[in-house]
Amino acid sequence: MRSASPSLFAAFALALFAAALGAANAADVKGAAPTDPALIEKIRTSNAECYACHTEAGLKNPPRADMDLAALAKTIHDPKQFDGSNHTGMECKICHGQGYVAFPHAPEAKKAISECGECHATKALRVETQFKDSVHAKNLADKFTCQTCHDPHVYKVAVKVGDPRKIVAQDNAMCVDCHNSDLRYASFSAVLPTKKVRPDLYATHDFLPNARLHWSAVRCIECHTPMSPVKSLATSHEILGKDKSEKACVTCHSQDSALATRLYRFSAANVGTDLGFANASVLGSAYVVGATRHPLIDRAVIALFGLTVAGLLGHGAVRIVMAFFRRRRTS
Amino acid sequence: MSHRIYLLPPWLRIWHWTNAALMIVLAVTGASLHFADPGLYLVPFSLAAKFHDIAGVALLVAYGFFVLANIVTGNWWQYVPKPPGVLARCWKQIVFYGWGIFWGAPHPYPPTKEANFNALQAIVYWVIMYVVVPTVILTGVVFLFPDLAPAKVFGLDGLLPVAMLHYLAGAAVILFMLAHIYLGTTGVRPTSLFKMMITGWHEE
Repeated sequence: MRSASPSLFAAFALALFAAALGAANAADVKGAAPTDPALIEKIRTSNAECYACHTEAGLKNPPRADMDLAALAKTIHDPKQFDGSNHTGMECKICHGQGYVAFPHAPEAKKAISECGECHATKALRVETQFKDSVHAKNLADKFTCQTCHDPHVYKVAVKVGDPRKIVAQDNAMCVDCHNSDLRYASFSAVLPTKKVRPDLYATHDFLPNARLHWSAVRCIECHTPMSPVKSLATSHEILGKDKSEKACVTCHSQDSALATRLYRFSAANVGTDLGFANASVLGSAYVVGATRHPLIDRAVIALFGLTVAGLLGHGAVRIVMAFFRRRRTS
Repeated sequence: MSHRIYLLPPWLRIWHWTNAALMIVLAVTGASLHFADPGLYLVPFSLAAKFHDIAGVALLVAYGFFVLANIVTGNWWQYVPKPPGVLARCWKQIVFYGWGIFWGAPHPYPPTKEANFNALQAIVYWVIMYVVVPTVILTGVVFLFPDLAPAKVFGLDGLLPVAMLHYLAGAAVILFMLAHIYLGTTGVRPTSLFKMMITGWHEE
């Protein structure tokens, strides 16, 4: 991952710039989407200029005849997806800079695209300390950037996605984009001293019962990131290789399930609580053996079991004693 | 020399012991899965999951055989409590287990070739084999193929009612099994009914 520290000065400068622009423009830099109608219209008009080419419609009907359509095909975006992403409401040029204002774009424009840390400085610092211990940093170092996993035009943080199944689909797609694609995997492994062949996901997860079901119900990072007792650090960027990743099923499949502080940390805790289930927030979208249990029903079943055993042993004991006395009487 | 009658054909005995072994595996692994906890000495989760799946499928096959064999041989008739006086005979049987057995009273309804089971046995076995066990098996099949479960039930995951039914019906089978094994000691000698289940010959 590229270091965020060279970007700190830029972030500082940008923050000063944003402060100078005033509250209306603050949303351009970071945080919630803008609410000022005039600003929204300005951003819409500005982004429409980009979408005129960088969309499927633009590619089909390019507004100019002198365009490199092969290059354009690699840089098209879906406005609907962008509007559903974290960066909705932002002007394309906030990140893509002045080099992209005119066409043809400046030859060095790509190098001037803002790095994530310029806006997300605090997060970048935290992520970097986690990332440097990850298997990706170990193997790929600088070749691995935020965008390798997080497409800023599409990505949405879990808390905003809400539905755990949708969080799983989005987050796992980031992993399998490479780990289930020979082409993408090979393009990254090419930098390694010894070329690595992509391991088959089913083969590496052969210990996992119902692997496909797990992959649709939980995120890869549920097992492939370290556990943290701190709730806000429950999702880490320290991606673990197979040797260090979680293999104990009971980490999730137990009453004290890690799912509650991980995938389901943003789910409504009151889903099913009026029915008295443990890990009630999970029950909204999944039944997890060992985790989504009902303590009262469990106690009733255990009590019935105990009473039955005690009753049968007691019955047997009385039979033995009575048989003993009967034998003594007859002899 | 005591009186002996041949009651149980080989297919029934083979099925019974296969079923018993599978039920024990399913009970132990099922409890290990449901009560999974890092602090408890249970069968490791992934191992329990694997064995529970295999034994569950085997139980389904064994149950299919049981139903078919019952139809073909006519043995299903044994499970039907025959009126009149079913409840009165059940009560007499309960009184025997609760009182007479301690005083050495004879079994009120010893098995015959025509009626293997007393009325209480017939009712309990019928409920277990034709209501509770099929419930465990059917819900188990849904567990194996969770897509079969409804997506949502009252806003909660659709597998929840299936899982609860599987758990409670499984618990009922285990409680039955405990009582069934214990009542196996109530023959002429504590071992004679177990011997009957192996040899097919009932001793009186």
